[in-house]
Amino acid sequence: MEKITIIIDGKQVEAVKDQPVLMAARENGIDIPALCHHPELESSGGSCRVCLVEAVQGGRSRIVTSCNYPVRAGLEVNTSTDQVMKIRKGVLELLLCRVPDSEVVRGLASKYGIDEPRFFKDEGENNRYKCIACSLCTQVCEDVVGVSAISMQNRGVEKAPGTPFHKDSQACIGCGACAYACPTGAISMKDSKGVRTIWGRKFKMAACSVCGKPYIPQAQVDWIVKTTGKDRAFFDKCPDHR
Amino acid sequence: MGANVQKNKIDVKKIDRIIKGYDKSEESLLAILQDFQRAFQYVPEEGMKRLSRAMGVPESKIYAMGTFYKALSLKPRGKHTCKVCMGTACHLKGAGQILETIERELKVKRNSTTEDGLFTVESVNCVGACAMAPVVVVDESYAGHVRQSKVMDILDKYK
Ligand code: SF4
Ligand code: FES
Ligand code: FES
Repeated sequence: MEKITIIIDGKQVEAVKDQPVLMAARENGIDIPALCHHPELESSGGSCRVCLVEAVQGGRSRIVTSCNYPVRAGLEVNTSTDQVMKIRKGVLELLLCRVPDSEVVRGLASKYGIDEPRFFKDEGENNRYKCIACSLCTQVCEDVVGVSAISMQNRGVEKAPGTPFHKDSQACIGCGACAYACPTGAISMKDSKGVRTIWGRKFKMAACSVCGKPYIPQAQVDWIVKTTGKDRAFFDKCPDHR
Repeated sequence: MGANVQKNKIDVKKIDRIIKGYDKSEESLLAILQDFQRAFQYVPEEGMKRLSRAMGVPESKIYAMGTFYKALSLKPRGKHTCKVCMGTACHLKGAGQILETIERELKVKRNSTTEDGLFTVESVNCVGACAMAPVVVVDESYAGHVRQSKVMDILDKYK
């Protein structure tokens, strides 16, 4: 880990060489909005373009996505110049036309003074989605959970995450990692009466032997036991009562 | 898509034979899907499932591939593909009526396949032959300056 000094918004700050500008900024208390980047997922980012900043290096200025732009010596970053704000506002307006039902995108857009996008054409309830096709969910499913139950399907404007053949995925363990990772709240997951419903499939939840609360899908326990050799008895109790 | 086309039994042995012809490697996936397309006129679900098992690659990944490439179709396709250009030039020259005529005469909706499995009718964007608009492409052969009254003569040759 090579420490270097860079300039963000006129301030000299310390950063690790090659780390994303976004992370360097956050570690120094400078906030840049970001949707599709997850610090734990190396391949994430670069798709929502909300995190745009101005990067000046060797006298050349460029607008870049801060979530995957590496920190290098001599870099100067501006996160909120007029130009950056204008472009970011444009990006948010377009995102909002695409997912007007996402509270997250709506909230972010309103911070930039957009309450209703100018271009939105409401095609009815069945044509409203919250998904911005960033693929965080499928990356988590593959790289972190390791089951690859979902993938990004189709292309262009039809690109969206889903289970194979649009049927129940036998590979899914109901862990819900995709729903937690989704930046726009697009994946529906419901827990009710000891049953979790996600991706059209129902999962029986195992209950804590102390408080009786259903807290983890049985299929997830099976998966963890199978892949890590962890003692099954460990899951008798929920994290609060272990 | 025609009901009897869909009910066509797909030959599981043929699927396995295609898969066996390739190395067990992620690099073979696309080639195998293309072979399915050639052999069955589409990529059957059973084929993707067997491929997933044989290669140890998750079904989700194979399905993603199958839906990504335009050259692959997940629905049974007709023996012949009839593309009606709906690009700007063709549109102005009446491609809409031509497509409607085909739909009516073949009793098929655009972007689907006739009951007898003979034609898949698609509306496509500019095929790059605007000078001869309106254009209809059957398989590899281009017909230009197509007139509504004559379009069925073109298709009849494939029956
Ligand atoms: S469902 Fe959420 S995480 Fe998945 S692609 Fe859509 S926006 Fe991204
Ligand atoms: S967070 Fe950087 S492009 Fe989405
Ligand atoms: S618009 Fe039909 S060929 Fe160009």
